[in-house]
Amino acid sequence: MMSDFLRVFDMLAWFPENISTFGQALDDLFAVIYWISVAIFFLTFGLMAWFMVRYRARPGHRGYNYHGNNVVELTWTILPTILFAGIGLYSDDIWEKTKYPEQMPAPDVEILCLGKQFGWYFLYPGADGEFGANAYNNRANRALMSATNPFGIDRNDPKAQDDFVVENQFRVPVNANVMVRGSSIDVLHSFFLPHARVKQDVVPGTWMNIWFNLFKTGTYELACAELCGGGHGAMRAEYKVLSKAEYDTWLDGEIAKQAAIMSASAESSETPAGEAEASSEEASADAPSDNATDDVWGEE
Amino acid sequence: MSTTQLETHEHAAHAHHDEHGHHDHHDHHELPWYRKYLFSTDHKVISKQFMLASMIFLFLGGLAALMLRWQLAYPGQPVPIIGSLMPDAWVTEAGSGIIAPEFFVKLTTMHATIMIFFVIIPMAVGMFGNFCIPLMIGTDDMALPRLNMWSFWLVPPAGLILLAGMFTDSGFATAGWTSYPPLSADINKPALEFSGQTLWIISIFMVGFSSIMGAVNYVATVLNKRAKGMKLFDMPLTVWALFITAIIATLGTPVLASGLAMLFFDNFFHTSFFLPDSLVASGSFPGGGQPVLYQHVFWFYSHPAVYIMILPLMGIVSDVMATFSRKPVYGYKAMVFAIAGIAFLGFIVWGHHMFQSGMNPLLGTTFMLSTIVIAVPSSIKVFNWLGTLWRGSIHFSSAMLAALAFVSMFIIGGLSGIFMASAPVDIYIHDTYFIVAHIHYVLFGGSLFGIFAGIYYWYPKMFGKMLNETWGRRHLFWSFLAFNATFFPMHILGVGGHMRRIYDPNIYDFLKGFGGMNEFITISAIVMGFAQLILVANILYSLKWGKAAPRNPWHANTLEWAAPAHPGHGNFDTDITVYRGPYEFSVEGREEDYWPQWIPGASKTVHHRTVVVDEHQQASTVSA
Repeated sequence: MMSDFLRVFDMLAWFPENISTFGQALDDLFAVIYWISVAIFFLTFGLMAWFMVRYRARPGHRGYNYHGNNVVELTWTILPTILFAGIGLYSDDIWEKTKYPEQMPAPDVEILCLGKQFGWYFLYPGADGEFGANAYNNRANRALMSATNPFGIDRNDPKAQDDFVVENQFRVPVNANVMVRGSSIDVLHSFFLPHARVKQDVVPGTWMNIWFNLFKTGTYELACAELCGGGHGAMRAEYKVLSKAEYDTWLDGEIAKQAAIMSASAESSETPAGEAEASSEEASADAPSDNATDDVWGEE
Repeated sequence: MSTTQLETHEHAAHAHHDEHGHHDHHDHHELPWYRKYLFSTDHKVISKQFMLASMIFLFLGGLAALMLRWQLAYPGQPVPIIGSLMPDAWVTEAGSGIIAPEFFVKLTTMHATIMIFFVIIPMAVGMFGNFCIPLMIGTDDMALPRLNMWSFWLVPPAGLILLAGMFTDSGFATAGWTSYPPLSADINKPALEFSGQTLWIISIFMVGFSSIMGAVNYVATVLNKRAKGMKLFDMPLTVWALFITAIIATLGTPVLASGLAMLFFDNFFHTSFFLPDSLVASGSFPGGGQPVLYQHVFWFYSHPAVYIMILPLMGIVSDVMATFSRKPVYGYKAMVFAIAGIAFLGFIVWGHHMFQSGMNPLLGTTFMLSTIVIAVPSSIKVFNWLGTLWRGSIHFSSAMLAALAFVSMFIIGGLSGIFMASAPVDIYIHDTYFIVAHIHYVLFGGSLFGIFAGIYYWYPKMFGKMLNETWGRRHLFWSFLAFNATFFPMHILGVGGHMRRIYDPNIYDFLKGFGGMNEFITISAIVMGFAQLILVANILYSLKWGKAAPRNPWHANTLEWAAPAHPGHGNFDTDITVYRGPYEFSVEGREEDYWPQWIPGASKTVHHRTVVVDEHQQASTVSA
């Protein structure tokens, strides 16, 4: 209890564990600004408290008619400017490394992500490691986007046959550069991975580049951070950071499942591939949105 | 500084005036009651109307805040007392008294909308702007009194339209006070149908008009109606701040209006200014729009709007601090330039609200740098306030305590602003409670405490009665304590990653440890809410039973104190000529420690200090 109370005065102790390669740089920058703020806080509050006691009204004491001094004004203009400019330049260096597209490393794993009210879809490229035609890489496919085929996948494209969709969960290998291309099918959402220090709004009609490299295996949470309607607070999903071997095993399983779906749709003669896929996705889309809890892992 | 002592020191020049002089010498015929109290063109009546309307909205906005705080601290438990009264659409199931997730989001939307557009802006700009500008520049009324009347009379209908949202099928607006499309475009609503969101847009559009009408009036009044001898640099900082605020409002609000008009078209007529072509929605839209465009338009106004909400209070606090420190404001001109600097820079920093919105990261760099630059004029202001306290003779009246609370809370709010100004830090804390903590430190700890300072300072002039100082101190003590207990822990929630506007934090594993803190925050917020009743009681009690106010109860220098204690239509009973700047306190060579602007007398400046010049001596040297 006491230690809990003392933690209140150490703001830096409250961060969730960092699992991202660039997370430490962000946390360090936060700490630098935090300590500068603490110093300025004690300086200004100290002066204020001192003046309030020292110059309180007393009989026979008069204020001092003094209108200020330009040298002093310039001093406290220039010093903060230097300090703030320093923070700005330091920040910008980190900003460029985390967010500038040309500085992002070549991806080892590429995933598409779509937010919806109130859940998340993820598309993996399947066995060939390449996406077929979909709304991300082919503008015309946006017309195919629907509640049952959110990514606008054209299953007639040979490369698209093995692309598979998972809902409200995703998995990534540890120590790999992951590139998530994020968008939305309805309103704004924000792709927030607290432990990975990742946050990016996803905007319908635009695809965002979200990259990260996670160094610790485990199960973590994905939250929506942009108000998206009544179910905003429940738009929770989980993700797993797996060892390369575990990730490959999972990937093989999903690819086999996808192949089974495709061959089933090929056997049912007249149905075009795209629609069969659509109906299988419909089942998952109909599931209540608040199933974004532990049971998403049940299909393992 | 007791009031009795003040009264005996009341300046001799006023001794023969009727302290409650009505407009006896203004020879106009009696107005009918509705022109006097309802559709009045008197700036003081309009100011009080703004005050009354805003206080009603303050109560509603506070109630919404306490309801949503209840849900965050005690998720899934029925709201006490009012829970059983809530309509079925607000609760999880009829009669449960438990706030529904949809209604929770509506509560956050209504709380912020009401507090920003119907409380802080009308109070900071409408109430103080109307009351202070004509009195402080020594004139009888606004330049355009009728426009002034209209600027108030757009607010109550706008408020009613906003609240009428509850009678639509969808209930109140849902999209937050920022109303980002596509959510705010209600993409699943048929065209030509009103929802709470449609009414929200209309309502804010009307408030915007009210702002523009007020603003052009302030600019016209300040530029044209200053008393004889009053140069721009003789104006008190309150007037400077309101003047510059009015310029911001004139330039910014039309942009908001254009954004809202486009949003209204998207919402009501299903156009696609902000709607892209790949929406999966039941409604049909032509598509091809860009949601992020709305954010640019919205923040182009709404970032300057945060300065609309704080600059007037910075001016008021400067005046209050000078008066109760018995000292000139340190660096008066630097303060004016800092206000102007903030106003200018305020227009080029809007993108810092959008670091994670998906705009080009290169813009993140530019907006981060401009945002960090705006911290400079803000720190100049803080240092000048500290300089004003230095070597003063500080009287801790209620108004002064509120002003000191403003400065200290603004420092914390400013410092937390540096975190989010730094774009990489903002990646993590964006849309978390860290932002909520920051906005409340600036808008509640800053603006609202500034408003308290203004009310405690000018109440005697507004109503001719003194407020009770003891109860004033109690109100400020409890507000200050409960305010910090409420909002400081929110920084920690933010560092823990606690998102804004979420219904139930307990469904997230990484937020499991914050239940106790959420509960603590809610209890503090309830204490803070009840503390405001002290102010309301004090205002109402003093109105009837308060001690009659003298003409210049605080021994201040600015022109409003030259007017009768409770000025009638026309304000002044003497001709006003301005002889010097507004802050000549404790001038060497004068017996009193204040030297009002309207009292004749010559002075000169020696080493940044004002010294009385013996007029006889000067006259003889001139003639010689």
